[in-house]
Amino acid sequence: MTNNLQTKWWKKSDVKKLIALTIIFTPVVGYFGSIIHVRSMGDPASKMMQTTENLIAIFTWAAAPVVALVCSVMLIALMGKRHYGDNPPEEADHDISNSPRTNATWLVGSAILCLFAVVSGMIVLQHDNESILDDAAINVNVYGQQWAWNYDYPESNGVRSNVLHLPVNQPVVFHVTSMDVKHSFWIVELGTKVDANPGVVTEVAVTPNKIGTFNIRCAELCGLYHAYMQNKVIVQSKDDYQAWLDSQPRTDNDGTKPYEEAVGKDSTLEKA
Amino acid sequence: MTTMMEHSTSKSGRRPLIERLNVFTAFALGAISAFVVWRLALQFLPADAETAPLFTREDKITLLSMIAWFVGFMTGIGALIGPVRWIMGKDLSHDENMYYAGKDMSIKRYFRYTTDHKVVGIQYLAITMFIFFVGGVLAMLIRTNLGTPEGGWIHPQAYNSIVGTHGIIMIVGTIIMVTGPFGNYIMPIMIGARDMAFPRLNALSFWLIVAAAVPLLWGQFIGGISTGWTAYNPLAGQAPLGMNGYIMFICIFALSTMVAGANITTTVVKMRAQGMTWNRTPIFIYGTVASVALALPAFPVFFLSQVMSGMDRALGTSFYDTARGGSGWLYEHLFWLMGHPEVYVILIPAVAALMEMAPVFTRRPLYSFTVAVMGIAGIAGLSVLVWAHHMYMSGWAPLLNAPFMLTTELISIPTGMLFLVLVGTIWRGRVWMTMPMMSIFALLWNFLIGGVTGIYLSDVPADASLHGSMYVTAHFHYTLMGAGLTGAIASLVYWFPKMTGRMFDKKLSWWGFWLTQIGFNVAFIGMFMVGLAGQPRRVEAYAATFNTGNMVTTAGAYTIMAGMFCFLAGVIYSWRNGQKAPMNPWQAKTLEWTVPNPVPLENFDTLPTVTSDPYGYGKAR
Repeated sequence: MTNNLQTKWWKKSDVKKLIALTIIFTPVVGYFGSIIHVRSMGDPASKMMQTTENLIAIFTWAAAPVVALVCSVMLIALMGKRHYGDNPPEEADHDISNSPRTNATWLVGSAILCLFAVVSGMIVLQHDNESILDDAAINVNVYGQQWAWNYDYPESNGVRSNVLHLPVNQPVVFHVTSMDVKHSFWIVELGTKVDANPGVVTEVAVTPNKIGTFNIRCAELCGLYHAYMQNKVIVQSKDDYQAWLDSQPRTDNDGTKPYEEAVGKDSTLEKA
Repeated sequence: MTTMMEHSTSKSGRRPLIERLNVFTAFALGAISAFVVWRLALQFLPADAETAPLFTREDKITLLSMIAWFVGFMTGIGALIGPVRWIMGKDLSHDENMYYAGKDMSIKRYFRYTTDHKVVGIQYLAITMFIFFVGGVLAMLIRTNLGTPEGGWIHPQAYNSIVGTHGIIMIVGTIIMVTGPFGNYIMPIMIGARDMAFPRLNALSFWLIVAAAVPLLWGQFIGGISTGWTAYNPLAGQAPLGMNGYIMFICIFALSTMVAGANITTTVVKMRAQGMTWNRTPIFIYGTVASVALALPAFPVFFLSQVMSGMDRALGTSFYDTARGGSGWLYEHLFWLMGHPEVYVILIPAVAALMEMAPVFTRRPLYSFTVAVMGIAGIAGLSVLVWAHHMYMSGWAPLLNAPFMLTTELISIPTGMLFLVLVGTIWRGRVWMTMPMMSIFALLWNFLIGGVTGIYLSDVPADASLHGSMYVTAHFHYTLMGAGLTGAIASLVYWFPKMTGRMFDKKLSWWGFWLTQIGFNVAFIGMFMVGLAGQPRRVEAYAATFNTGNMVTTAGAYTIMAGMFCFLAGVIYSWRNGQKAPMNPWQAKTLEWTVPNPVPLENFDTLPTVTSDPYGYGKAR
């Protein structure tokens, strides 16, 4: 007992075991944790989504040592002196009920991790927010209604569509609003989301960097057919996009008014 | 019973009113008054103007009948006798108070307005189990419907209502699951008190929950709660009449929580045994107080949010109607001002209960009591500053996302302290392999996953992908169920001997433990994956690519169900035929183990004096 106490803490066998296990578990947790997330999220179709996936991978790696440490302690405790039966085991040899040094290390460690998460999050957030101010961006007005999405292109003769077409590598700002209840405009593979609130316009910007067809889903419960309030975004080359725009009927709606008012008839798409 | 007979015959020969009221008179009076008010309102309420929004008159009638139910029920159970007698200047006599405490009464005391904290504790346990049973059945309906991509066999309106009802009653169940049964039964004994500070308020808090349950049930038959448990406006304004059931349910439940919060806080502050300084107060007491004290500011806000919602529906106000100067964001703020503290209302007492058990089952002192208290206080303090992280994507104030991201991520520091305490206590302990001990490991594992996924969600750019998806659902099930419910079930097994005088059946507790934990981790890992891949929450159908993940979740859900049935069987079997428990089966050092089984009416003959903290384990002490 006394002998044990005089030994330096890092020379004790269970501490060595703990350190070894933590070192082994950290890369395992980091690797599998991040791979599960990144694989599940699929191939990003915008830089924003790419950043999000990287951010999640980074956070996973940052959390990995903590997860590994806690798991190692649990494993050592379970592999150690187990006791079965109806009566309690002997009292433990270990009676240290506090260790200011451990507490301080733990606190500083978690504060650093927390600070790291906040700062890296804020850097990305700042970048995302700036993209709304991009002058070169095209504008698309998004109208959510129970249970469909409509898209107006006010800069292109007021074209309206119920399928979103976007040119690749072109920044785009969405001005999102709702005609009835709250919806949430979510382009899954592009990693953008913003709520559609009745009476208010919210904005979100993204630059798709991959040609293809991606999913738009409503992410806020909006009533009976919420599950079916989804459609597609078609990201095309600039020429294809222009050809599609030209093929659409002109309405000369400049986007200052809702489509129905500007066009002067009830052209709401047939409801689901 | 003899004293009561003397007492009752001393009056006019009829039994006095307080002896004639019980749960049956309560239900009868509630139903009658609801029916009468419904008929009267139907008869005399004027028709709506042409311009009125849909349902206004019907909303008025429904709400009035529900209020009548509530008043009738509370009168019928006898909640008004005390206050009325007090106003009349004839406060209850000692005999009457003893009658209220259920002195010498048989099983009937569980069906009355009984003030004994032990009766209230058992009542809370029963209603919590009932809530989990109903909520669990609803969860199984949801999961079964999601077994195939094109849900199908449940109508979308019913499906949405099932989702909303599952959500709200599970939230209510988890709020009361620790502070209700154990905060009422165990806590007063643990601090060496004879009862709660306000025994009548204690009975009130319980019967308010029973009164609240009926409007929620009622709502199911008049259109359901098709808005999810959050009941966001303007969707809630548009929802059918069943929404009024939700509104009344929340209002009454909020009252119950406020009453219980005031009662438990006062009890702990004023009634601890002599010598039980704050340093010697068990950590479970801290957890309970932090939980109910957090509920004190949170639930009045929830109450108000629903009052306003009801006024928008029934009286034509426009608190949440953008077209007429209101704001849906206002509702979201009010809701999450309650909603975020509330998750810690659920979590803290469950973790604190496991902290209470950790020293007992490792036979060593609790690691750093101070850090544990700081952790609990830190979480409680910060949790009122983070609500708007539920609104990152709502667009209400993009500039404020960064500060809310900061406060949210700061919570990981006090949460880490709770981990440190548990991990530090396990370290070099002798692990006594009991089901509550394994629950500590299970909590650490589940809470690690729940906590780390919470960091992704707290980060605004990542939340842009994850918000509103199944990922969120999986995350909060990991924290509330994986951590919270695990702690609550461990508490049940741990305190079962004191509450019932019998040991919880070992075999059934192990079966329940492994089935729920394995099923749980299978179910919600699957849900994480489909959430990441882009499946929104609360959908009744989904893209075919998510089918595998959903099948995994459904399979896991059935495993959880099997485990929960094992626990239910364990409770019923052990309560009836379990092995008789000794006074202190776990050889623990807190005060509740110093009273005999069954616990006498006022717990202690002579109030105890405390001379040390309850964690004096380990050889050197």
